[in-house]
Amino acid sequence: MVFSGIPFLYYFLPATILLYLAAPRKLKNAVLLLASLVFYAWGEQRLVLLFAATILLGWLLGLLIERFREKVWSRVFLWLSVLTTLGLLGYFKYADFFMESLNSAFGLSLPLLRVALPIGISFYTFQILSYTIDVYRGDVAAQRNLIDFAAYVSMFPQLIAGPIVRYSDIAGQLTARTHRLDKVASGVRRFLVGLGKKVLIANVLGQLCTQFRQTSQPSILFHWLYAVAFMLQIYFDFSGYSDMAIGLGRLFGFDFPENFNYPYISKSITEFWRRWHMTLGSWFRDYVYIPLGGNRRGIGRQLFNILVVWMLTGLWHGAAWNFVLWGIFYALLLTAEKVGLKKALDTHGALGHVYVLLAVLLGFVLFNADSLDQAAQDIAGMFAFGKLPLFSAEAVYYLRSYGVVLLLAVLGATPLPKRVIAALSENRKLTRSWNVLEPLLLTGLLLVVTAYLVDGSFNPFLYFRF
Amino acid sequence: MKWKNILTIALAACVIFGFSAAGFLKAPEAYSMAERRSLAQKPALSSQQLLSGKYMSQFEDFSLDQFPLRDNMRTLKAAASRYVFLQKDNHGIYEHDGYWSKLEYPMNSGKVARSGDKLREVYETYLEGTGCKVYLSVIPDKNYFLAPRGGYPVMDYSQLVENLREKLDFAEYIDIFGDLSLESFYKTDQHWRQETLSGVARTLADAMGAEISRNFTVQELPVPFYGAYCGQAALRMQPDTLYYLTGDLLDECTVTSFNTGLPTASFMYDMEKAYGKDPYEMFLSGSDALLTIENPNAATEKELVVFRDSFGSSLAPLLASGYSKITLVDLRYLQSGLLGNFIDFENQDVLFLYSTLVLNNTVSM
Repeated sequence: MVFSGIPFLYYFLPATILLYLAAPRKLKNAVLLLASLVFYAWGEQRLVLLFAATILLGWLLGLLIERFREKVWSRVFLWLSVLTTLGLLGYFKYADFFMESLNSAFGLSLPLLRVALPIGISFYTFQILSYTIDVYRGDVAAQRNLIDFAAYVSMFPQLIAGPIVRYSDIAGQLTARTHRLDKVASGVRRFLVGLGKKVLIANVLGQLCTQFRQTSQPSILFHWLYAVAFMLQIYFDFSGYSDMAIGLGRLFGFDFPENFNYPYISKSITEFWRRWHMTLGSWFRDYVYIPLGGNRRGIGRQLFNILVVWMLTGLWHGAAWNFVLWGIFYALLLTAEKVGLKKALDTHGALGHVYVLLAVLLGFVLFNADSLDQAAQDIAGMFAFGKLPLFSAEAVYYLRSYGVVLLLAVLGATPLPKRVIAALSENRKLTRSWNVLEPLLLTGLLLVVTAYLVDGSFNPFLYFRF
Repeated sequence: MKWKNILTIALAACVIFGFSAAGFLKAPEAYSMAERRSLAQKPALSSQQLLSGKYMSQFEDFSLDQFPLRDNMRTLKAAASRYVFLQKDNHGIYEHDGYWSKLEYPMNSGKVARSGDKLREVYETYLEGTGCKVYLSVIPDKNYFLAPRGGYPVMDYSQLVENLREKLDFAEYIDIFGDLSLESFYKTDQHWRQETLSGVARTLADAMGAEISRNFTVQELPVPFYGAYCGQAALRMQPDTLYYLTGDLLDECTVTSFNTGLPTASFMYDMEKAYGKDPYEMFLSGSDALLTIENPNAATEKELVVFRDSFGSSLAPLLASGYSKITLVDLRYLQSGLLGNFIDFENQDVLFLYSTLVLNNTVSM
């Protein structure tokens, strides 16, 4: 089930809200857990038991780690948690990738497992891992209530595509949280904005990307059009999903961490990764980069740590070489920035913007390719002067047809809309009108989104495959 | 601020809970007149359906098809796409100069080749060595004329024809592209207008050595014709007027359908269907696997077999005067292996007459 679907919006969500409102305070987490399991099982019927077992194991190991704190068993249980969660992730997500790579490198014929990737496994694995590590470190107390713990891991707003909510982020809210009017209203606002970003921008740009793949008139313009469209699509898709998750969290009294902060206005890749998928970046920083030594053991070790973290970041996104290369690409850029490029960029702001946009654009072309060959073709096509026509009638047509959506997406990827809305709400003369107009606009947005959903069929979330 | 928050929550709740309640209360509809298709129904709940995930996917189809005010929602989407986001097409449907069409682009070489293979198989199975004269003609769809005018992508029609001619090298090709123009098509439907087809009929008849009458009276259907694109586009549009050709000769022809396997009297113009959901189906009663038109006043014993799609329905009456019998075969509804049960191929003229819409899309032919 996806947030931007009729079954979620008009069946699951109202039913869950009604049950949640009707439930006494003590049972609210149980209602959330039940709803989350239904939500998960809707898309993953067979592996819901694996999901439940993973939660149970994480909970038990958390308790055992705490029980044997300061003793060797605590470390044993921590490793058990790390090995089982990463083992499951490795089995479902990476086993075939490694076997295929071995087969192709050494001419072997190791049989492939061909197992389906459980939805959201990359996200909930990291949540459980961060929990057991935090319990081991003594940063959080182990959760004794299984329902509360299971509600945390499985909570449907953030279950399948993040943000990666750490247990420490919401531990207090699991047992005591408030449901204030302003919080619920801000949740509704955030959810509807995210829904609009996903359905009206990301899905529409996704159609343009599909048209590119089907073209019979390749041209340099169409290659660039595709690259820009995908770069915007993935931002609006993923940040839209995060907005919806954060908004839904507020409806149920939770404060989830922010995941995006206008990444395309960055002036360096270092800054970009502080603004893009922030919860993943901070997870790798706290649980991989710093434990490896971070920047405390000299520049050589720091660069090695960066390479490891970014190879893992690439692999987290997908079990394919283009994702690994994508990670290495960022490791190289970050390394270049660490050894001096960033200073140069800081003094030439405009150059920094161009550099970031171009690097991210090329990175996402690599990211979205089905294979390294296709990535090479897509990138070569962008610079195939003399080999491909500069433009084709088809590319011009799609540029005209998607021009307004592209323009809205470009503007929407900057803080401009937020500033305009802030100016409207802070203007004393307009405040009263805006207080009525904004809810009406949001309702109109919901209706238009619903119309798009009823009429359309193109609605996959890009981050579901991770 | 407090009232703004209350209003935000209240309005969103009204939409979500309102549509949700309406969805539960609304009786499911079986058919969409606008989209001309059956609508998904609530799936049966069983453990097998649940575990296989079929229930979920079927429920999602059901929730979309049976959504309250579905047609209005489709209109809202089409209007937002066209007037707010200024998109040039919606699901490929576009308008230019008052004509509506669906993008037919790019050429699907595989499907064109499969269509050619199928027709070649018919030739090799039934026609080769029978003395039948075999002809091929391709009907360009409306996009051939409309798309270049509005800057819409256009497939390579000459390549499509060339590919097909290569496959059907046993057939004499009759070019009718020059006999058609944008005005030969309805504004709201993909089909051609019967009253504009005299040039096409003459070109075909001349090439096949048949003499056809031009004496027809143009009749106007006294109801507006809302073509297929009206429902598909979901936007308000001016209806067409449907005209059809009558005459003594056509009145005396006998039309027989073999849809059920047994000969059944049918109509040149089915007036019940003229007032039904798709008035274009009035021509030879719409989809029919096998149908004959017998002309008792023909000056010749010549017979014609036309392998055709729905475009052939409105053209066939114009050719009726040139033959004693015309047999119309629609391979989309009739397995080619059964053809021999109904037709003895011997010295007839055989015309493969297909629209680019079918050649470029069909999977069933």
